[in-house]
Formats: sequence, structure tokens, C-alpha cells
Amino acid sequence: MGTILAMMVKDLKLLARDRMGSIFTFIFPLVMAIFFGTIFSGTGPASRALTLALVDEDGTPESRAFADTLGASPEFQIEPMTREAAREAVRLGRRTAYVALPPGFGEARRRMFYGEPPEIEVGLDPSREAEGGMIQGLLTRHLSQQMQELFGRGDRMEAWIEETRASLDTARGLPAERRATIQRFFGELGRFQASIRDSGAGADSGRAGGGWQPARFRTADIARVRRGPRNAYDVSFPQGVMWAVLSTAYGFALSLVMERTRGTLVRLRMAPISRGQILLGKAGGCLFTIVTVSTVLLLIGALVFNVRPNSWGLLAAAVLSSAIGFVGIMMLISVMGRSQRGVSGLGWAAMMAMSMTGGAMVPLFVMPPWMQTASQISPVRWGIIAIEGAIWRDFTVQQMLLPCAILVAIGVVGFAVGVRVFRWTESEA
Amino acid sequence: MLRLTGLRKTYGRIVAVDGLDLEVCAGEMFGLLGPNGAGKSTTVSLAIGLLEPDAGRVEIVGFGSPADPAVRARIGVAPQALAIYDDLSAEENLAFFGRLQGLTGRALVERVRWALDFVGLVPRARDRVSTYSGGMKRRLNLAVAVIHDPPLLLLDEPTVGVDPQSRNAIFENILALKRQGRTIVYTTHYMEEAERLCDRVGILDQGKLLALDTVPRLVASHGGKSVLIVARDGEEDRIEADDPVAELARLGPANLRGFRMERPDLEKVFLNLTGRHLRD
Repeated sequence: MGTILAMMVKDLKLLARDRMGSIFTFIFPLVMAIFFGTIFSGTGPASRALTLALVDEDGTPESRAFADTLGASPEFQIEPMTREAAREAVRLGRRTAYVALPPGFGEARRRMFYGEPPEIEVGLDPSREAEGGMIQGLLTRHLSQQMQELFGRGDRMEAWIEETRASLDTARGLPAERRATIQRFFGELGRFQASIRDSGAGADSGRAGGGWQPARFRTADIARVRRGPRNAYDVSFPQGVMWAVLSTAYGFALSLVMERTRGTLVRLRMAPISRGQILLGKAGGCLFTIVTVSTVLLLIGALVFNVRPNSWGLLAAAVLSSAIGFVGIMMLISVMGRSQRGVSGLGWAAMMAMSMTGGAMVPLFVMPPWMQTASQISPVRWGIIAIEGAIWRDFTVQQMLLPCAILVAIGVVGFAVGVRVFRWTESEA
Repeated sequence: MLRLTGLRKTYGRIVAVDGLDLEVCAGEMFGLLGPNGAGKSTTVSLAIGLLEPDAGRVEIVGFGSPADPAVRARIGVAPQALAIYDDLSAEENLAFFGRLQGLTGRALVERVRWALDFVGLVPRARDRVSTYSGGMKRRLNLAVAVIHDPPLLLLDEPTVGVDPQSRNAIFENILALKRQGRTIVYTTHYMEEAERLCDRVGILDQGKLLALDTVPRLVASHGGKSVLIVARDGEEDRIEADDPVAELARLGPANLRGFRMERPDLEKVFLNLTGRHLRD
């Protein structure tokens, strides 16, 4: 066991010191997973918000408060601009739209039942009607929320009533009869608000018990039955893991052949250990590397890209089975050619064929049915199916057994054949 | 110490080793001299159990066949190809191969230190081998062969491709190993190395052992006569003579402008035995 461990450690050191090898084993698969995950997501996570230019020409506390509300909203990415800059940003496609708060916005917000309503100008390309509708809807919601806050807090409500009644006296162009009606309405509303306060319900001077709310919402969590991946990274990370697995197996297969061509195999064989132990050392290094690299990639997926497996236990089983399977593939690749160049070329071709047919390049579920059937011959397919099974395919233990068993069988058979056929000397090769 | 009996190995139609009988005594330094392709490396591979002979047997006297891993542990090998890892340091290479040989803990640390000191690589012990010169790599190749203190060493062309200074350093190392009482089988196609280092030399060509003896006896029996080259009246004459001094006296000083003598050596022995030069 000590000698096998020594060989594993040696191989891991050599791998860690081989920059190109490390890139192909870890960096390249990670970049692939992130790249494809991102392009199939449409845009990055941060850019899901609508990008708006905000033009505040009013400059009142009300317009600033509204701008702050929009800025805090997850639906929008706001950047304050002048009107000219905002128009240009929209024209050049740097912003989806601009929202302008013209002079008088704050004053119009303060009064409610007379005069013109507050005006908001939304500028966007006419062809983007859908986004325009969405923006108007969201702006209306934020305006309503401000009203809701006002009506929900007794102290603010009373202050607002007083301000409005005072402003009614000086409002121009308002017919006397209408003015009197509104005054009566606000008078009654003020008395109503005072009665709530005096009854003690307003002990909490903030949200008065009788404060107005359009509705009170309660939410109940009902998990929808999910069919398919949660996001594109759920698909791209299993693919990335399989790229890492393939690269590791290929690298170890080449290193085994290089031990022979460079003569170090002679020394290994001079040690008082069996041929089986030598190959087990190589297999152990390969297995350990695959498990480690896969684990790190999946952890990055989980922590940064929200790739959350349904079952960590099943995911561990999938990774371990894939590792065993591709240790067998490693042994088979190492005996594919008679020379290092031969193994390198044939091994690369085999890897490409396995990844193309197995879903490491094109996701399995977008393949045509005949291709999905054909992909069953590729070990990559079973690796991806197993990992996806644990991440988003909702596999049960029984469902996971099939891909895992196939991978383990490939590993055992591949290793046995490789050990039997492996050429131990250059003259044999 | 090492006995090869009726050893034969073929690769297809090519006979690499053809009925080789050989016995190397304990403490002896034995040279296998022959041109490239003579079968030296195949003989080494057979002797250490890396290749199965088609016929014949190999025995480490008193211990058995090197096919047995326990017997193999008594052998150290410096293969012709540099069998070391370029991306590990000398220290890491030695520690790794020492571990494979069953060394652990303090014993391993001490053997690694000894081996580094033995080949003069202590100052570069922690540098990657890829940064070493060819001579340093050869010295490390030798150090790895002795890391587990084996009584029998097989050194397959251990000075190939090194500069004269490194070659001398390697000679000193090998002579030191010999003084420690180790049995050494040394393959080379450099006759000077065989003459300088080896107690006995076997001349191998096309898989066959053509002659085997000490260097003086080989020269005496197969080297032919010395050649006296004399320059007289602008001409040079080559005269073969058993006693060149007596022949020179017989010729006398008259008209003699100069002379030189070619003594027979292993090159001549090989030429006489095969009709070819060692470096053909």
C-alpha cells in the first residue's frame, strides 16, 4: 500500500508541476462550464435587471425619494444622467430606456384629488414595446407602493392631510364647489385618522392599527414540480466535469506510456513490487485526481453558479463511479498505440468521439432521438447522466444504479484489458 | 554473483542474444564491450528480469531468479535512457525510488543524503532535474541505482553523451562503488572505459560472446602483434613485430628519421575478432 501511495503522490506532484496538464485538467473544463453556462443563460446573472437611465429634472424630495426607490429595486439598474445623455444611451443601445421626472413631479405627487397627476416620461425604441409595457407596469407598482406606505402610517397620513388642506386654499383654477367637497372629504378623513389615534390603536405611531392597506398578502410556499435544469449551469457543469475527467484520464494514459518510453518504467519494475501494483499506483493517482478535480468544479458550481444537487450523496456516487469508469478508459487509451505519438493521437481521437457522442459538447437533451440512442455507447453519456441525475434529473437511488453500474463495469473491464495488453518494454512496443 | 546460462532472446527474426554463457564473480567489475546493437542492453534487461529469455536462465547466485521481486531488490540498475523524472528534484527522485525499494523514515532520509553526497549533487538537491546538465542527470541516474545499497549493479552505458569532466566524475563514483565491494556489470562501446575500469571484459557482437578475459589476456590472445612505424628517406614503413624494441635495434639508426609504435588494444581485438571496428 505504501508503494502504491508513493506512486500516487509522485504522479500528483508531476501533474501539479505540469502547467499545460493542469490547464487542460482543471482550468479549461471550468472555463468551458462557465462559458457555455453563461451563453445558454442568455446573459449573466447581474444583467437580468432592466437597465434604465434616470433623468431627475424636478429635484424635489419626492422625485429623489422615487429615484431612490427605483434604485433599490431589483428589477432595475439605474444610472442618473442628463436628458441628452440618457437619449443618447438609449439610442446607442447602452440602456434599455430612460425615465425622466420632469419639473412639477414632486408637487403633483403631494396632491392627490385635484390637478394633473405626476408625469413620468419613458423613452425607448418603439420596437421594444414589450419592455416598455413592463417598465410602465413596474413604475406604477413603485408609485403605488409609496402611496401604500403613506396610507399605512398614521403620523404621515395626518401630516399629509394637513398639508393638502392647506394647499387647497391656495390652489388655482379649482371650482369653489369642488374645493369645498374635497375640503369636507379631507376634514372627515382627518377626523377618522384622529379617532384611530385616540382609540389607542395608534400607540404605535408608525403603522396605525387602522392604517389603510389595499390588501394584506400571505404567501404559501408550494414547490412547483420542476422538469429540467434550474439554470444553464446545471447542464454546463456536468459537461465541464466530464471534460476534466476525460483530460485527466488522457493525461494519465500518456504519462503511463511516457514511463515506458523514457525508461522510468524500468526502474519501477526493478522495485520489489508486482506489475499490478505499478498499474494500481497509476490508477490510484488517476482516480484521486478525477475525484478531486470533479469535486472542486462542482463546489465552484454550487457556491458561485447556484448548481445545487438534489442529493449530495448521489452526486458523490456519480463522481466516484465516473472516476472508476475513466480509470478503465485511461488504461485502454494507454494501450491504443504502439508509440507515445500513436497513443497521443488515437487517445485524442477517442476522447473527441466519446465527448461528441456522449453529450459533453452538445447537451444530451437537445440531441435528436437517434443520437440519444447512439450516445449509449459513450461512457461520457453515463457520466453526465449520473451527475445530472444527482443535480437536476431527480434520480432516485434505483435510477442512479444503472449509470453507476455501467461506469463501474467499464472501469473494471477497461482496467483488466489494459493490464493484460499493456506493453512493458519498448521492444514489445 | 550473476550467472547467465545458455541465454537466448529474439525479436521476430532478429536474434538479440544468442546462447550467452557468462558468470560474474562477487566483487568483480565486469565489462560487456560491443558496438551499438550488439545485444548489451538486451543482456542487461534479461539479467535483471525485465525480459523473459526465449531459452536459458538467469540466476543471482545464492538467491535465485531476478523474476522474483525479492531477488530484484538486490540489484541496482542505471539504464542507458535517463530513468528519472525531470519535473521532480534530485532529492524527490531519490526519495521516491528509495520508497519503492522499501526504505522509510530515517533510513530513507540517510540514504538520500548519502546518495546526493556520493554523486556531488547536494548543492542542487532541490532543483528540478529539468534544469540539470547532461552530466548531472547521468550522476543522478547512477545515484538512483544505488539508493537501496544493492550488492549487484548493472550500469548500461552510464557515460553516454556526457562531457569529459562529468565522465571522470562518474568513473570516480564507479571505482568508489567497486572499492565498497559491489559487483558491477558495465556495458559500453568505449574501449578506453573497459580498459580503465574492468577486471574482465566480454566482447559481444550480434548477440554472441566472442571472447572473455582480462584486458591484457584478450589483447595478448586476440590483439595481434605490435606495429612499428618507421620513417626513412621520406617513406613510412609499417612493420609488425612481437618485440618492437628488438626490431628497432635490428633496423639500426642509418637513414632513420623517426619512428612510433602502435600497441594492440581492445579496438584491435574487436577488429580481429569481427573484421569491423567498434564504432562501425
